[in-house]
Amino acid sequence: MDLFTQILLAIAKILFVVIVAVGAFAPVLLWAERRQSAMMQDRVGPHRAHIPLPRSVVEGLRLTLKPLEAGIFGSFFAAGLAIVALVILLLSSRETLFGQEAKTYYLAVVGFGILGVLARVGHKVHGGIVESGGKIALLGLLHPLADAIKMIFKEDFVPPKADKLLFSIAPILTMVTAIAAFAVVPFADTLFLECATDVVPRDVATVMACDGSGGVATAIPMQIASLDIGILFIFAIAGTGVVGAAIGGYSSDNKYSLMGGLRAASQMVSYEVALGLTIVPCFMIYDSLRLEEIVMWQHEAGIWGIFIPPLTIACVLYLFAAIAETKRVPFDLPEGESELVGGYLTEYSGMKFGMFFAGEFVEVVVLGALATVLFFGGWDVPFLYRSGFDLPGTWELVIPMTDWVIQDTIALQHWAVIVIQVIAFLLKIAILMWLQLMIRWTLPRFRYDQIMKVCWKGLLPLSIANILLTGIIVLLWT
Amino acid sequence: MTDAKFLLFFFCAAIALAGAIGTIASKLPLRAAMSLLVTIIALAGLYLTLDAQLLAAIQVLVYAGAVVVLFVFVIMLIGPAPETSSAPGSVVWRMLSLVGIAMITATFAFSFVDVASTWVAPPAGFGTVRGVAGEMYTKALVPFEIVAMTLTTAIVGALAIARSKTASELAEMKRRRVAEDASAAAQPAE
Repeated sequence: MDLFTQILLAIAKILFVVIVAVGAFAPVLLWAERRQSAMMQDRVGPHRAHIPLPRSVVEGLRLTLKPLEAGIFGSFFAAGLAIVALVILLLSSRETLFGQEAKTYYLAVVGFGILGVLARVGHKVHGGIVESGGKIALLGLLHPLADAIKMIFKEDFVPPKADKLLFSIAPILTMVTAIAAFAVVPFADTLFLECATDVVPRDVATVMACDGSGGVATAIPMQIASLDIGILFIFAIAGTGVVGAAIGGYSSDNKYSLMGGLRAASQMVSYEVALGLTIVPCFMIYDSLRLEEIVMWQHEAGIWGIFIPPLTIACVLYLFAAIAETKRVPFDLPEGESELVGGYLTEYSGMKFGMFFAGEFVEVVVLGALATVLFFGGWDVPFLYRSGFDLPGTWELVIPMTDWVIQDTIALQHWAVIVIQVIAFLLKIAILMWLQLMIRWTLPRFRYDQIMKVCWKGLLPLSIANILLTGIIVLLWT
Repeated sequence: MTDAKFLLFFFCAAIALAGAIGTIASKLPLRAAMSLLVTIIALAGLYLTLDAQLLAAIQVLVYAGAVVVLFVFVIMLIGPAPETSSAPGSVVWRMLSLVGIAMITATFAFSFVDVASTWVAPPAGFGTVRGVAGEMYTKALVPFEIVAMTLTTAIVGALAIARSKTASELAEMKRRRVAEDASAAAQPAE
């Protein structure tokens, strides 16, 4: 692979990560958080940002409501008729009904079923738009976009006596370090470029090129950088991020900001130690610091980290420390508004505030991705291998009255396998983020001394004990 | 050393020097700390040119993530130092320091000119986590353990000096003081 291709691939991967983390996950997380809090606190939530439609279009949509209703009814009626026909075919020992085979009726059930569901969804969306007078609100998903536009065009106020240089560097440091940590996270199995549209053999050490040239296929690791230090890179980068919050609080020339910055720095430094120690058992068991090897271990062993006993404890401890590390409720003392106005964020406005905000959300995504890699198998999907699905056992299921067969092995083309893995990885991150969200809106804020006590006197000894336990288990096991 | 590494060396060296100058030239303590952060990260880049990946990570982890944060923390706790312009030293001292700088520079320059060493490619696995751990836990285990013990002792010692009195100790002190007061009050009565 020449240098040009490599650079091109690196740029593509960086774009993918940035778009997924900053462009998709962070706004959706923001939206979900507002939605969830509105639901729990019985408020309306994000709904006002919308794209207005012209009146004529709205009238047109109103006219199509009735035909759509008829369409829904028709589709489900047709699907019902097909089911009746199938039952008749099954009970009588006939091959055909009205000159049609059973296959046709199966297709009709599935086809008309999907059509009916689509029409139902369309009717609901249509009705919503017509009812609101032509406002497309997309469940409030446009709200983060409106927020971003607002922040960019808002006045960027800097306190007159603030240290302007440090005041501007702080949000950059916070956001850049949060995004940079993504560089070593693998989001899928190795991609073999020449074999994208072929089925790659499952257990082959070196995959040959599928274009018949006889050479070895070009392997593209699906992560931006494959570093030997792996996870240490994330911790090194995250450690620098602490400075962002600290100097942000210091340079604002505000006592509340200073207190917030101090709290942020001390809390993040304390929990970083705990965070680092909680995942040491993972390295002992996976025998590597490389994230791609950690995922591969779980993929090949066929068991996710969370189901290995010492790692179950590690996972709980890690999630605890990770939520504290991101400074979110119930650990959001650095910006506790009841005591410190807004903590180190008090003086920030406009896009500088936006960058702090985005940095915080990206950090949540990064720590979720790390948890996914360490404890939930990364991109691993149960029974999905390089060659496609391979369910346990050997069996096949023949659909009655047809020659259609479902087998225990389903061969998939290489690109499909990679796409499924990427989707699985993102889905796992989303579930972990949702878990954090629920914790955030369920628990009240801790007291500051409680946070420190639980870190140094609870989390730290527990994680060290877990390292000892893992050591004993690894010794006995091997 | 390959061309890319050569470029990286000069890039990192320039940034490190700029950061170092910023550290000593800046009047605001926090800006000095930030300049130090720049120097430290640039030094990690220099380690990368020497194939010492783990060392680079440790450098950023320990120095940028802990030491600089500690500095920032202390500066924030103590508050900004008043901006005092340092009193100009006497001419003799200035000349002496200039001579000192010139001598150090000359020493380094001549030592580099004299040594005509060639770049030796590092062995496989050099500077990786496995490589460093192998060296540390097979060839240098005893010194490593001694260092660990020394550090632990230092931490315990620092704690012993820095910690505040516990509740039982305070109660003990109070009891003793009350007893002394009582005996002092009892004496003049005799």
